[in-house]
Amino acid sequence: MSTIHLHGLTVYQQQRCLLDPLDLGLHPGEALTVLGESGSGKSLLAHAIMGTLPAGLRAEGELRTDGRRYPLHDAANRRHLWGELLAILPQEPVTALDPTMRVLPQVAEGWRGDGHLARDAARRRLDSLGLQAAEHHYPHQLSGGMAQRVAFAAATLGGARLLLADEPSKGLDSAACDTLRRLLQQHLDSGQCLLTITHDIALARALGGQVLVMQGGEVVEHGPASRILSRPAHPYTQALLAAEPQAWPAIAHPAAGDWLLQGRGLAKAYGSQQLFRDVDIDLAAGERVALLAASGAGKSTLGNMLLGLTRADHGSVRYRDGLPRTAWQKLYQDPVQAFAPRVPLHTALHDVLKRCGQPWSALEALLHRLKLGPALLQRLPSQVSGGELQRLALIRTLLLRPALLFADEPTSRLDPLTQRDTVHCLLDELGRIGCALLLVTHDAALADKATARRIRL
Amino acid sequence: MTPLTSRAWPQRLGYVLLAAVLLFALAGPLLWPDYAGQQLMRFLETPSLAEPLGRDQLGRSVIARLASAARLSLWLAGLCVLSAALLGCLLGVLSAWRGGWTDTVLRGLADGVLALPGLLIVLIFSAMAQGGFLTLYIGLALAQWVEYFRMTRARSRLLLASPHVEASRLLGFGPAHIVRRHLWPELAPMLLTMMSFGLATAILALSTLGFVGVGIQPPMPELGLMMTEALPHYSEAPQLLLAPVAVLALTLAALVLLRPLEVNP
Repeated sequence: MSTIHLHGLTVYQQQRCLLDPLDLGLHPGEALTVLGESGSGKSLLAHAIMGTLPAGLRAEGELRTDGRRYPLHDAANRRHLWGELLAILPQEPVTALDPTMRVLPQVAEGWRGDGHLARDAARRRLDSLGLQAAEHHYPHQLSGGMAQRVAFAAATLGGARLLLADEPSKGLDSAACDTLRRLLQQHLDSGQCLLTITHDIALARALGGQVLVMQGGEVVEHGPASRILSRPAHPYTQALLAAEPQAWPAIAHPAAGDWLLQGRGLAKAYGSQQLFRDVDIDLAAGERVALLAASGAGKSTLGNMLLGLTRADHGSVRYRDGLPRTAWQKLYQDPVQAFAPRVPLHTALHDVLKRCGQPWSALEALLHRLKLGPALLQRLPSQVSGGELQRLALIRTLLLRPALLFADEPTSRLDPLTQRDTVHCLLDELGRIGCALLLVTHDAALADKATARRIRL
Repeated sequence: MTPLTSRAWPQRLGYVLLAAVLLFALAGPLLWPDYAGQQLMRFLETPSLAEPLGRDQLGRSVIARLASAARLSLWLAGLCVLSAALLGCLLGVLSAWRGGWTDTVLRGLADGVLALPGLLIVLIFSAMAQGGFLTLYIGLALAQWVEYFRMTRARSRLLLASPHVEASRLLGFGPAHIVRRHLWPELAPMLLTMMSFGLATAILALSTLGFVGVGIQPPMPELGLMMTEALPHYSEAPQLLLAPVAVLALTLAALVLLRPLEVNP
């Protein structure tokens, strides 16, 4: 197995340089991790290597391996290497999986060769990922964490030498994160190359190898993980490390007010799979509560039940009288799926403003507070980074002045800096209008800091 | 709307052809208005400058008849497709939205119509009232609405179950907003493609009916009817048959070329 070199990798949008020239060497068995905040061009790197850049973007530079050279500006010349040399573990696995295919045949597609062997290999891979029960499920029946593992199985089944993992730990609970770390480590141990793009510092620390810190399309620090993550030299890296929830100072939470919502004896099963039963839950006005559970345990389902989006098998939910229907709002785990895909953000938010009778300046003030430029609104939801879109989704719900915001893993896709800013903004804004927060998260440290009370499911 | 120059050449060719056919269908009847006047002395007259396609077996101007036939085909087919698309879409969205009994009944109805060959439905309607515009229109529209219904229903069901529609409902938006912002932008590109194919099918069905003599009745000029009438005189005056065939072929080619090569995600 030989090293894969990237020389002078650059990404342009017309004449504007989005990613500064970059030379990388990917050595078998050594992890290379790219750390940085949302919008710093990390994901472009993976797509430039694969040849899957969105229309309008152009890569320069070349990929060298086994004495061959592949100029990166021609996206098609690497297509025959997919699966064999290059594989990508895409961001947003729920949208990357084919919604019309069951899990097993979908994973088996990654195998080059006989169909029967492919199914066996796919089954073994799914078993090793703890997905035996999900073999015959469709992607919409999977939780975010399970979908990520399915995507991992599909990407690695072909045995590609270089795996490009784009934000692989996004939205995974801590147990699933450990599994993922172990899997990526196994991938490395088998003498293959791994390029991980992430904002998860814990993952970078666990993988070791080389770390590259990016800020605004520029590499600010490059070196061995052990040094950079313990003794960062660049101020940006220092800020990044300080933004982990563990390092946050304590946040003062408002006192709980009158009761807002009461759930009694709630139960839900999907088919034969009992998610939870006899759950009692009380929420008070202005209160901040975290709902903690392993992935697939029905946290999101319980939250949806409280909002009246999912019917309970047993039990009932009582709401305080006199609140409009729009007082119960939700922030989605995956913001891309929470916006109409073909409607520009400008139009989408304008509709909300018109609906709730607020002036444009209310939106501008929120945009300013959440550090979002108004130019962003000209784009479609799919053209905005996950972090920015989640903040826009937050703005959209805040405009309605809700009484309860059910936030379903709202920051699991954000880098530590953006997560800290977003959570602080969220708490400030909710405090300002006295809105209660029900935060679903797998991150115990975040739950500790962001909420006053924790419920385990 | 993408400018014409940035489109692929088949689409550009499609637009040019369609524009030519439309121009002929709209301007032709103005330039050569007399499609029914018979001059039996001048039967099967060869083409000349004043009569570019000559005269037919009854001495009628072929180009006048052709222009009038093209206009008839286009507007009648257009009307059928618009009605079928409108009906199919409305019922499709209704079916996806309401589910339950509404869905079961509408789906059963659509499957029932689908089980009959489209042309048969039109034939039944045409046979009920010989050659009337209204029966032809109703027959063709009824034969075509099912595909719009099925497509719209399947797509809308998926969309209505998606998180972005759920989010809009939580934000307090009503059905009008969901149709306008969530369903229409997704459905429109597919509908346009289906309608361009549907238009081709309807034009072909009209001329097929004319050809077998149950569609538009003489002396009204119609492409299929003109072909039937010209067949016995093929050896003396081949242009009588070739002219309507060419107009039909060019119209169909234009409509097929119009479709986007791939629907953008």
